[in-house]
Amino acid sequence: MRFILFILVVIGIVVFLNPFFPFWVIMIVIGLLSALLGLSGIQGFLAGGLGYGLAWLGQALFISASTGSDLPNRMGELMGLGSGMTIVGLTAIIGFFLGSFSGLTGSLLRNLFRKKPDNLYRG
Amino acid sequence: MKYIGFFIALAITVALAIAVSMPLGPVPPLAPLLDPNHGFWQNSYSEDELAKDELELSNLTSPVTVVYDENLIPHIFAENEEDLYRAQGYVTAKHRLWQMEFQTMAAAGRISEIVGPIAIELDRMTRRKGLGYGAELGLKYLQENDPEILKLAEAYADGVNQYIDQLSPGQVPVEYKILNYRPEHWTTYKSILLLKYMSDMLVGDRDLEYSNLRKILGQEMLDKLYPDFPVDNDPVIESEHLWDFTPLSVTKPDSIPFPNDLLVIDPLPQPEEGTGSNNWAVSGSKTKSGNPILANDPHLSLNLPSLWYSMQLSTPNHSVKGATLPGALGVISGFNENIAWGVTNATKDARDWYKITFQDNQRKAYRYGDEWRPTTFRIEEIKVKGENPYLDTVVYTHYGPVVYDRTFKSERQDVNFALKWTVHEGSNEQRTFIMMNKGKNHEDYNKALDNYSAPAQNFVLASKSGDIAMRIQGKFPLKWKEQGKFFMDGADPRFEWQGYIPNEQNASTLNPERGFVSSANQHPVDPSYPYYVFDNSYEHYRNRRLNNRLRELSDITTDDMKALQFDDYYLHAAEALPVMIGLLGTSFDSYPQAKKYLDELKSWDFFADPNQKAPTLFYIWWDKAYDQIWKKWSEFGVPVVEPNNYQTVRLLQITPQDPVFDVDKTDVIETASDHVKIGFQAMVKAMKEWEEKEGDYSWANYKRTSVQHLVPQFAPFSVTNIYTGGGRGILNATSERHGASWRMVVEMGDEIKAFGVYPGGQSGNPGSKFYSNFIPIWANGEYLNFNLRSKEDSEGVLFQTILK
Repeated sequence: MRFILFILVVIGIVVFLNPFFPFWVIMIVIGLLSALLGLSGIQGFLAGGLGYGLAWLGQALFISASTGSDLPNRMGELMGLGSGMTIVGLTAIIGFFLGSFSGLTGSLLRNLFRKKPDNLYRG
Repeated sequence: MKYIGFFIALAITVALAIAVSMPLGPVPPLAPLLDPNHGFWQNSYSEDELAKDELELSNLTSPVTVVYDENLIPHIFAENEEDLYRAQGYVTAKHRLWQMEFQTMAAAGRISEIVGPIAIELDRMTRRKGLGYGAELGLKYLQENDPEILKLAEAYADGVNQYIDQLSPGQVPVEYKILNYRPEHWTTYKSILLLKYMSDMLVGDRDLEYSNLRKILGQEMLDKLYPDFPVDNDPVIESEHLWDFTPLSVTKPDSIPFPNDLLVIDPLPQPEEGTGSNNWAVSGSKTKSGNPILANDPHLSLNLPSLWYSMQLSTPNHSVKGATLPGALGVISGFNENIAWGVTNATKDARDWYKITFQDNQRKAYRYGDEWRPTTFRIEEIKVKGENPYLDTVVYTHYGPVVYDRTFKSERQDVNFALKWTVHEGSNEQRTFIMMNKGKNHEDYNKALDNYSAPAQNFVLASKSGDIAMRIQGKFPLKWKEQGKFFMDGADPRFEWQGYIPNEQNASTLNPERGFVSSANQHPVDPSYPYYVFDNSYEHYRNRRLNNRLRELSDITTDDMKALQFDDYYLHAAEALPVMIGLLGTSFDSYPQAKKYLDELKSWDFFADPNQKAPTLFYIWWDKAYDQIWKKWSEFGVPVVEPNNYQTVRLLQITPQDPVFDVDKTDVIETASDHVKIGFQAMVKAMKEWEEKEGDYSWANYKRTSVQHLVPQFAPFSVTNIYTGGGRGILNATSERHGASWRMVVEMGDEIKAFGVYPGGQSGNPGSKFYSNFIPIWANGEYLNFNLRSKEDSEGVLFQTILK
């Protein structure tokens, strides 16, 4: 449940914050949220990645469909990637990796703090 | 263990974030480019989808209304000129910012800043020609002499800069995102530089080549193959014009010791062949409505974003509409409620070269008469992307910059040549256009032109009051015959220019009896004009076709003028082909393939329409035969120019046995017929290959007109294989990469009827639907409605924005 919730939260962050902040700010926010929600490493990785990747995928598809612009195709050709759909895919993949590693780092960060008090009491 | 895991994950994340923010070789940073919120995706929106009812523009005295018609042509309504030009800067930047800046970076020799060391030699060349130096003098001229224009130019720059400052990351033009740099502020200097850049685009010289030819061929042969005036001279100012002034005297030195070296240096890049223009005006006596009609189509490199940007600029006192140059104030080719005007290039050997003799290796002084004159050094610092700046020292003499010296493009260490060019003198072209925009009659037009120096243009005029006029305006040096045709000796003061032709003695005509004025880059005047006139690049075909048609036509309508701009008649072919077929004889009639081509050529009507096949055949045949005839010229081993098409056709026709056709190395004596036959064989061979590889050889398919993005590597932003006719030397001068970059036809009646089109679109954004939407219209010879609009006009409005 928290997994699905986190994906939705990440999508929300990208949609509402990304227009005003560059991608690396979004990465930090995803990392912090992942730490706050306490997902496991694999969950944080997948949820962060899917959230960011799906959000960028959705935005790219929305812009492409609503404007009908040929620019994605032209950019695809310019970058030697063929069609615009490849560019859509690349956008989603880059988004996925930015989100996934941020999510993973966040959950591992929380792990550090969770264990830290245990160690203190033992010592 | 947990710490290690965390730090590894953190390290990967940070490394990933850095990797996607950094350029990887030529690949720009990926995340900023692909981020749908800021990257290129945001450039998918067209201007109407981003329309705002109100935008902030500070420093206005009152609000400015901008009405966009359905073609995204802005109509700016301001209360005064300062507001008007501030808004022009703002609106132009909104649609063409990247292009404006890129063109001035090119003009300033700053391309290396954007693309790296690959452009250093190009930038050195640009700077050595002194464009930046000329623009600095132009700015100084405005500061010292013309505070009014300076204030308006500063308002324009402020408008551009306010737009740059408001620019959100997503709306940064896509080229910046791909090339990974950001716009810098605009300045008045850049506006002036842009006009200098136009000079550079339009002005060439062949002094180097003529110097070599003179040494190789001798004066007599040179005069025979390269006469100053053609036999069929049909000049800009009608031949029967009488010159009603007393010319200034020019003293020709008794003996003229031109430097006599054979010169192996790389010539400066020349304006592309096919760069030229047509303009004309017909008086009411020849038109159906009784109103004068004016037409203009400048031929330039076909580029996207287009060189031109259409606008209407209105204050309560005037309304002007037409083609603007992004970066320059006002309309360059257009019309207002009272006059219409247009421009064509009027080059007249504006660049001259002086051989410089330095005192010693220090280059601190050079010989001039009996003295040594001091030089000045200008250090050009060329910033290079990813590398240390490149420093280039350019020596300046009183003539101008020493372009060629031991460090640049010269194989000989002792050869130094300084360039003298009117572009290096303070001038005020911007005032000409601002005054012309408000002009009401022929007198205002003349006053506006008095401020104009370079690049020299044939300015055509038609006024509502019924006048038609043509004036060849530029700052033309007074020269004795052949002065500046060859490289000159800078140590000999007798080679100096002896002043300038006064403005009122520049060739001009008003309401000539023949009922029309016209220009197509041909010789400006008849030999009766009292000053020396020379240029290698004068046109010999478009002018005669144009004037022949204008003489024939009567009851002329705007549709007739549109048809004439789109006229595909190939006069060069009409004159050359019968001669060539005659020289070919019947020797190829028994070969079926050759016979097929010959039959197609023989039944041709000489129109280079897109679906015709004969133009391709003729074009290749001529090309091969011409190469064959002048092949020995390329064997001279030094830069030379070949005799032009017109002279070559005359030789073929009148003296086919001329010794000039003989190839020295062979035992037999060749004649014109031999070359034409070899050319024909080469054409048949080339056509066979073409047909096997490409199939269809209709003219449009062979010619493959393309409109190319300013960065040639951005091929997907170009439009290629455009189906359209015409070619070099044809009124519809659309060749592979050059052609009518703007077409305008205006009828100056009580109600002004105006039409215009250019091969591009109003938007500079390759993602916009307004980026190249005019190209199909242009390719079909169709036009957009360019009538003046009032602020209240509600028909065909795309959207409207108030700037305040």
